[in-house]
Amino acid sequence: MDRSRVTVVIVVLAAALALPFYAGPFWMGLATQIIIFGLLALSVDLLLGHTGLFSLCHASFFAVAAYTTAILQVRYGTPTVFAAPAGVLAGTLLALVFGIAVRTRGVYFILITIALGFIVWGVAYRWSSFTGGDNGVTNVPFPSIGPLAVTSHLQYYYLVLAIVMLCALGYRMLVSSPFGLGLRGIKASESRMRSLGYRTALHLYVAFVLSGALASLAGVLYVYYNRFVNPVTGSFQISVEVALMAIVGGSGTIIGPFIGSGVLLGLRNWVSSFFELHAAVMGVVFIATVLWAPDGLVGLARRLRKRRTGIRKDPA
Amino acid sequence: MPETLLSVREIHTYYGDSYVLQGVSLEVAQGCIVAILGRNGMGKTTLIRSVAGLTPPREGDILFRGRSLRGRPSYAIAQEGMAIVPQGRRIFRSLSVRENLVLPTSGLARGPRSMPVDDHSRRWTLELVLQEFPQLAERINHLGGALSGGEQQMLAVGRALMANPELILMDEPSEGLAPRLVQHVEEIMRRLKARGHSVLLVEQNLALAMAVADEIHVLSSGRFVFHGTPAELAGASEILDQHLGVAATRFA
Repeated sequence: MDRSRVTVVIVVLAAALALPFYAGPFWMGLATQIIIFGLLALSVDLLLGHTGLFSLCHASFFAVAAYTTAILQVRYGTPTVFAAPAGVLAGTLLALVFGIAVRTRGVYFILITIALGFIVWGVAYRWSSFTGGDNGVTNVPFPSIGPLAVTSHLQYYYLVLAIVMLCALGYRMLVSSPFGLGLRGIKASESRMRSLGYRTALHLYVAFVLSGALASLAGVLYVYYNRFVNPVTGSFQISVEVALMAIVGGSGTIIGPFIGSGVLLGLRNWVSSFFELHAAVMGVVFIATVLWAPDGLVGLARRLRKRRTGIRKDPA
Repeated sequence: MPETLLSVREIHTYYGDSYVLQGVSLEVAQGCIVAILGRNGMGKTTLIRSVAGLTPPREGDILFRGRSLRGRPSYAIAQEGMAIVPQGRRIFRSLSVRENLVLPTSGLARGPRSMPVDDHSRRWTLELVLQEFPQLAERINHLGGALSGGEQQMLAVGRALMANPELILMDEPSEGLAPRLVQHVEEIMRRLKARGHSVLLVEQNLALAMAVADEIHVLSSGRFVFHGTPAELAGASEILDQHLGVAATRFA
């Protein structure tokens, strides 16, 4: 890691840790949301940024995990120590099934993931006796494990921050491992990787399941923050938005999806306070990104820095 | 008599409806360089792709170390001990030189049936490959896409060596290289042979094939029209003239 990157990591961490000292409850809530959706965007980007697969069904893993944890906690009174892992497990099991999508590539992969996503959304919406239909599942309590209980949004913010930091660390280890290198090779050329001896379909399947597991973890974190879950959580719109977050922030990086999450959620909060068609603004942001910063804000920052220093360096 | 490593038996390969290889057979013995010569569009690359499992033949069989490769996917064939240096190099432009080189060594690219090279003196490591190609060592952290054509060719060969293959398939390694670099390719081929590698070489460069090959096949419209040693080919003026488009006097 070069020095500027270490600096960025330290600054971001310090800002995140110090945030509660200068931000009110509204901003704390937004920050928690940004971190959770950043994790979801990061999970999408494991596929998008490292293998080139564009998934539009990640809201499904997110929602199935959220529903599982919520239903267990609210309806069956299951303690967090079981309900939370069960949520991650349920979402991951779904990813094991949805992983069949990696048999296809390109636009077919996108179409299949959209279709799979709609199945989950449809079930959540229509199977109301189990999922609560449009009303969803409400009154999810704060998580508590034995005597350790979260009692405030502030505490929950720190819990989320700690878990997401660990995830980011693990993610970094994963993408810099031989497996991660293999994924980047597949993104560059799958056929070439096959003739080097890589069983590429299996690699992509494993990446898909890992990505789904991470999205599921984000879903569990979300349901304890939001305190309720409804079919919107698993909607196509969420899948699209988190993919946009990864692209706007900077695909293929770790900080990028979190920046994208911050930009999109921040902008939506701000714009929706005075403009009804806030979704249209999201569209404009996306178009601007594709036109002027195709590598996202992180890519843009790198390019500007390169221009300023005038040194041509290969991106590490 | 050295052992037969690769045996191609009467293969017929199609690209969609076009009938490219029309019954081709050849053998590559352990430690030998076998060259396939022929003009553009005669099926040379298709032959390499057939052997590597990228375009499997519709009929016929290919045996590698006595085992049929029929129906085996390309990654499994690679794991059996075959490495390809594809036409146009095809290195990973977005990965660094080091990453390009270590990709084939990963445990993820080696299957349960991969044969370890028992003889350690023959085993290629990153250090040995960089010793062989000092220019790559200088540019180890550069992106593959930032290399010159000649360096990319070295990288493609180096990447193939890192897999420690029994057989190397080379598709026109001299294509697009300056004469001085073709000379270098020739040296590389000699050293590969000295180290006991077997090579199936597809070339348009007659001089290169003549200089390094033990045996030469001439491919014309999907069939072999000549098989013999370089010396025999030099004497076959009709073949040179008709199928390779060179005046026989050059080699007489």
